[in-house]
Amino acid sequence: MRFERIRKEYPNGVVACESISFEIQPGTVHAIIGENGAGKSTLMKVLYGMEQPSSGQILFDGQAVTIPSPQSAIDHGIGMVHQAFMTVGTFTITQNITLGAEPQRRGFVDSRRAVAEVDELARRFQLDIDPLARAQDVSVGMLQRAEILKALYRGARILILDEPTAVLTPQETIELFRALRGFAASGRTVIFISHKLREVLEIADEITVMRGGHLVGQTTPEATDEVALAGLMVGRSIAIADRHPAAAAGEVALEVAGLSCLNDLERPACTEVDLEVRAGEIVGIVGVEGNGQTELVEVIAGLRAPTGGEIHLHGDVITQASVRSRRAAGLHHIPEDRMKNGVALPESIEDNLIVDRYTGSTVRRHGLLSPKRIGRFAEELISRFGVRAADSKVPAGSLSGGNIQKLIVARELGDQPLVLLASQPTRGVDIGAMEFIYAELREARDAGCAVLLVSADLGEALTLSDRIAVIRNGRVVARFDDVAAVTEEDLGRHMLGAAESKEPA
Amino acid sequence: MTATESAAVAPPVPGDDREAARARVHRQRRSDLVAAFVAMIVTIVIALAIGFVILLIVGKDAVAAYEWLLTGPFSRTTRIGRVLIDTTTLTILGLSVAIPFRAGLMSLGAEGQLYMGALTAAVVGLAFPLPPGLGILVPALAAMVAGAIVGFVPGWMKAQFGANELVSSLMLNTVLVRIYGYILTEYLTEEGSTSVASAYLPNESLIPTFTQLTGVSFDQANLAVVLVPILAVAVWLILQRTSLGYEVRMTGSNRLFAAYGGISSRRVIILSFIISGAIAGIAGAHLVQGVNGRALLTLSVGTGFTGIMIAILARNNPIVIPFAAFFYSYLKIGGDVMEQELSVGTEIVNVILALIVLLVTSQFVMSLVKRRRLSRLEAKGQP
Repeated sequence: MRFERIRKEYPNGVVACESISFEIQPGTVHAIIGENGAGKSTLMKVLYGMEQPSSGQILFDGQAVTIPSPQSAIDHGIGMVHQAFMTVGTFTITQNITLGAEPQRRGFVDSRRAVAEVDELARRFQLDIDPLARAQDVSVGMLQRAEILKALYRGARILILDEPTAVLTPQETIELFRALRGFAASGRTVIFISHKLREVLEIADEITVMRGGHLVGQTTPEATDEVALAGLMVGRSIAIADRHPAAAAGEVALEVAGLSCLNDLERPACTEVDLEVRAGEIVGIVGVEGNGQTELVEVIAGLRAPTGGEIHLHGDVITQASVRSRRAAGLHHIPEDRMKNGVALPESIEDNLIVDRYTGSTVRRHGLLSPKRIGRFAEELISRFGVRAADSKVPAGSLSGGNIQKLIVARELGDQPLVLLASQPTRGVDIGAMEFIYAELREARDAGCAVLLVSADLGEALTLSDRIAVIRNGRVVARFDDVAAVTEEDLGRHMLGAAESKEPA
Repeated sequence: MTATESAAVAPPVPGDDREAARARVHRQRRSDLVAAFVAMIVTIVIALAIGFVILLIVGKDAVAAYEWLLTGPFSRTTRIGRVLIDTTTLTILGLSVAIPFRAGLMSLGAEGQLYMGALTAAVVGLAFPLPPGLGILVPALAAMVAGAIVGFVPGWMKAQFGANELVSSLMLNTVLVRIYGYILTEYLTEEGSTSVASAYLPNESLIPTFTQLTGVSFDQANLAVVLVPILAVAVWLILQRTSLGYEVRMTGSNRLFAAYGGISSRRVIILSFIISGAIAGIAGAHLVQGVNGRALLTLSVGTGFTGIMIAILARNNPIVIPFAAFFYSYLKIGGDVMEQELSVGTEIVNVILALIVLLVTSQFVMSLVKRRRLSRLEAKGQP
């Protein structure tokens, strides 16, 4: 398979890809890395038929092909596993996998055969799933395996994986990699898109690096290392893995005592969680997704009602306080799912930046909102936090994912908060934005902010945190005060439960 | 790392580039506005064209019919007056729902609020003789209060119990129209009257008509027309410049974001319903104090719903709503004229208006305009 001088210019004049040419060998795992906006997503959309190239072509076995739609891509044997899973929660795993391609008998869906086929496929590729479980009841890891099987079920020979490990535990990642190697060994091709350089070095046979719409390098894991790759990606050298521990922690700023809450299905999500975050320290919470960390943060932020326990903010009980009064008391929040509740995508950057201060004098005049003051306030934050936007009046939805996250960080850290809840602060953002967000979090901490960090990225938790707590089944199961002495494997064992950790991995 | 260093991370569009990008954004926004306007005109033209074809098919004199339809409203001053009356009523009703609609709340209660406003204006106007000026103002304000109170009910039910506002506001209409009819028949209709209607309001409570002011007959068109720009700007100000408006816009745009930012959805729901009801109440006062001079049994047949359609037609933009209301009223009166002058029924006008609504709700024309523009741009982009 070969990309031949692919160029993609969007109608608004943005050139996302410029003359990209390279080859992907069958039977290999080919990683494509680059910052957000480097053009790798666009390139994949072109390959998957979601976008048409402005010029250039795609060749299979030397034959130029046009791919007008995802359906045509599937017909060509291309499968894509998106970052956000496209599953129907109330359908079973089998139904989700066979959706739209169900085996039929006399015009009806032959569900028994569907289950058998899916089961056989899962066994063949060593992707462990429960064909009869409902999608809403299973783990993210299984959903992802189902998505992969969905592509394979449709006969994919080329599998595109967009940031597949973002939601996985280290152990699940190992299993995924084993499966990916199996595909490659069977002559299939895997295109692996990631920000995590270490994983890329581990899994890829070949690595293509993109920056600013251009192809800036091709290499193999043997010929490079993390630092060199990061440098190639951003065009200068950076170091994000360095730890910068807090100088000294101060008073307890946020205290959670015996906190319990339910999840959306009314089942217990957190049970008697005790936590303390001091001014000037970052406390990391790690755990497999769905173990209560999301709900815990929501309860502290005031978005979910607790069923027991208390929350203290600088000694004051805020357990029943409204979101607004919590914000007024200095409790800020970078939400886990920024597209869900972190921004209003159709609204302007300005409107998105003032949500916690539209009643305040910085943006008002004569008792009304002042466009001039709002504009000045927004422009200042935009330039201070390096949000790439042409104008503060453009809709937030026109920004890239990384810039939307910067927008949120700018809003939440723009004035020094006392306590910051940072949930997955760098999920899906590029390495440049990640470096920037790390620096901002540390700067806030050093200025005396108490930061509660929830991250699915153990490397991130270990890099940033001064103390770490592991959460499993809604309970804190382990605490580490000396983060320097902890490894990802230690955390992983506690995340999965001590009983499992006795088994050899 | 400090903020200055961070600029190096994301070398965001330095100096000139950023200015150019900003200019592009402004150009883009202007052309979006143009596109919206073009889409509105194209919509109306398409609907008129289809109506024309239908007339041809049924064997009517389509050319003559359209001549009356399009020029009829200007053929007599009374007809101009009727366009003004309808424009006023529909603008007020359209504006009344714009705020809840922007908050993502389906309020269908304008009809009932209009009736309650009318009833209150009539009762207050008849019961309390007041000097000129106050005589107009007090019943109108009372009508707003009445509208606000009945508007509050479905809002409160939603905020308190999560009751579906679409159903509750719709059902409430039926109740309120019946209450209106009952009170009017039992208490306000004078003995020996031949029709169900209240007595005429004292002159001090009537809004001066253009007929009185100019000596030329403009039907019952009255000074309430000045409310059209005033209310449109007021609603625009509420939405764009007040805290409540900001809360309404954010809630309508992304409810979860609003909650995350500390916006109380309860406050947004209740206040937007109250304001909506108050505005719709003015429409009732306009009919009683301006148009009819008294309360009639049938004030409107679904005018409240036409107002909702106007708001949708104008995409809840308060500045566009008066124009949409005018277009609608113009076609409506044109249709009436057409029926009077030729043997062509007003049904064809309803067909045209229904087509306009269909085209607007399906966003058919808008996507057409956008696609054309895109392909033009892409064509330009190619060397």
